[in-house]
Amino acid sequence: MDLFPLRLSLEVSLAATALTLGLGVPVAWALGRRAFPGHDLLAALVVTPLVLPPTVLGYYLLVLVGARGPVGRVLDAIGIEVAFTWKGAVLAACVGSIPLLIRAAQAGFEAVDPRLEAAARTLGRSEWSVFWSVTLPLAWRAVLAGAVLAFCRAFGDFGITLMVAGSIPGKTQTLPLAIYDHVQANQMPEANTLALLAAGLVVVLLLGLGRVVRLRY
Amino acid sequence: MTVLSVSLTKRLPDFTLDVTWDAADVVTGLFGPSGSGKTLTLDCLAGLARPDAGRIVLRDRVLFDAARGIDVPSRDRRLGYVFQGYALFPHLTASDNVAYGLRGRPRDERRRRVADVIGRLGLSGLEQRYPAQLSGGERQRVALGRALAPEPTLLLLDEPFSALDLPRRRALRDDLARVLRDWGTAAVVVTHDFTEAYRLADRIVVYEAGRVVQAAPRAELLWQPASEAVARIMGIPNVLHGTVVKATPDRIQLRWRDQILEAVNSPTRSYLPPPETPIAFFIRPEYVRLIRKDRGPADPGHHMNLMTGVVVADEDFGTTWLLRIRLDAPGPPAQGDHDLQVEVPHLVHEILEIERDRRWEFSIHRGSIHVLPA
Repeated sequence: MDLFPLRLSLEVSLAATALTLGLGVPVAWALGRRAFPGHDLLAALVVTPLVLPPTVLGYYLLVLVGARGPVGRVLDAIGIEVAFTWKGAVLAACVGSIPLLIRAAQAGFEAVDPRLEAAARTLGRSEWSVFWSVTLPLAWRAVLAGAVLAFCRAFGDFGITLMVAGSIPGKTQTLPLAIYDHVQANQMPEANTLALLAAGLVVVLLLGLGRVVRLRY
Repeated sequence: MTVLSVSLTKRLPDFTLDVTWDAADVVTGLFGPSGSGKTLTLDCLAGLARPDAGRIVLRDRVLFDAARGIDVPSRDRRLGYVFQGYALFPHLTASDNVAYGLRGRPRDERRRRVADVIGRLGLSGLEQRYPAQLSGGERQRVALGRALAPEPTLLLLDEPFSALDLPRRRALRDDLARVLRDWGTAAVVVTHDFTEAYRLADRIVVYEAGRVVQAAPRAELLWQPASEAVARIMGIPNVLHGTVVKATPDRIQLRWRDQILEAVNSPTRSYLPPPETPIAFFIRPEYVRLIRKDRGPADPGHHMNLMTGVVVADEDFGTTWLLRIRLDAPGPPAQGDHDLQVEVPHLVHEILEIERDRRWEFSIHRGSIHVLPA
C-alpha cells in the first residue's frame, strides 16, 4: 500500500515544529518575561487557533496566502507558492499547533526565578547570554513538552490543512486526509493500517516525553 | 575615603525610598526593619531597579545620574551581588557557578581564578556538586565566590544569613566577617538583625520606612542612637521617659519614677534641654548592678543612682537571666508590669539565689544611662 501520506505527514509536522519553535519561543519568552503594550492582546491572540473552528482558520489563512491574497501576492513575486503545496500544509500545521508550544513554554519561562536572571546580569552577561545560559536551560523541559505536543497536534491536523493545502494524492495528501479518503472509498484495511500507525507514533512520543521531563539534575 | 556615594529616590505605589548616604572603603551595614527599603537600595545600586531621581557614584564612576541621563546597565557595573537565599544557578556545578562571571577571559586565567576562589573559601572537593547537594553554609560560600571571582569594585550582600538555621548563623557570621576582611573588598551588607550588622559592619546606616534615620560608626550607634526611634529599631530594651531637672555639658539630671537619676551628657553632641523638658533615655539591661547584701549597706558615694525594687518575673536565656523589676515607687510601672529589665549572668543568678530572694537594691553608673535627643 502507499505509505506516501505517512512520510509526508512526518516531514510536514517536523518542518512545522521547527517553524513553531522558531516563532513560538521568542513570543513565549516575551509573554512570560516582558511587560509591553498589547501584552494581553497578544496573549489572547496566540490561543485563538485552539478555539476557532479549523475550517474558519483555514479559510482566513487561504485568503491571506492564496494567489490573490495580500501575503500570497508578495510571496508569488519572489517565486514562492504556498496555497495547495506542501508549504501550505506546513503553514497550516504550524498555525494549528503553535498555541500549545507557546502556552507550555511561557509557563516554563515564568517558573524561572527572576533573581537568577538578575544574578546573571550583575555577573556581566547580556540579555541574549542570560537567555541561553540561564532562562532556557532552566525552562527546557517545558519547551520540549510544548514542542512534542505541538508535533503531535501538527501530525494530526485535518481541517486547516484541507483548506490551505487541499488533499492532492501524492502531493499534499497527509495521513489524516488519506485515512478520510480511504474510508470514503470503503478501503477499510488501508484506513486501519494508517490509523494504527498514527496512534502508535503519538503514544510512543508522549511516553518518551514523560520519561525525559522527569529527569533531574 | 569615600568609595560609594548614594543619593536616590524611588517611588512605588505604596512606598517611597528617599535616601542619601556614603560608604568608605570598609564594610557598611544597611540596618532596619523589613520593608524599610534596604533591598530596594541594593537593587538600585546593582542596576536591577531604576531610581526616579538621584545619583550613584562608585570610585569616580558615575553609575546612575538621573539629571544627566546616565544609567549604566547591570552587566557593566562590576558589582558583586550576593542575593538573599543566594540565587545560585541550580543547573550549574559549584565551580561553574563561580566561573559564571568570568566569561570572556582567557581559559587559563579563568581556571586559575576559579581554583583560587574555591581554595580560599574552603570549597575544595565540592567543585562538581550542584547547589541542591550543598549545605546552607556551603551555598553561601559558593554565592560569595561567584560574586567575588570577577573582582568587583563593591560587594553587595542581602540578608546573608536568612537561609540558615540559628546555630549555623553565628559560626557563619564570623566566617563571613573573616572573608570580608581577608578579601579587602568594600562591601554593603543588608540585615534586619542589629547583632549581625554590628558584627559585620564598621559603619551602620539605619533605615526606617524608606529613609535614613542615622548613619554612624558601629560603636557610636550602639552607645548613642540619634533618637528614640533609632533605639526602638535597634531593639534596645529599657527605653524610658523622664523629665529634665538640670542639664550641663557634662551631666544631665533627670526625674524618673519619683527619683532623680544622673546621666553623662554626650561629650561630642551635648544636649542642653531646659528644665521640665520631657526626655527619653535608655539603660542597657546588662549594665544594671545588683548590690550584694553580704557586703554591708550600699555606699551612695560609690554606688550611683541607687534604687530598690522587686523581681516580678525572670526568664532563663541559657547563659543569662533576664529579670523584670518593679521599683518601690508610687504610680504605675514604666513598662507594663515592670520598670526595668536587668540581665545577669547565670552564675550570678545562682550565687545570689535570685530564684528565692526577690527584693534587691540596684545601682546604675551615670555613664550607663544614655540620653536620647528629641
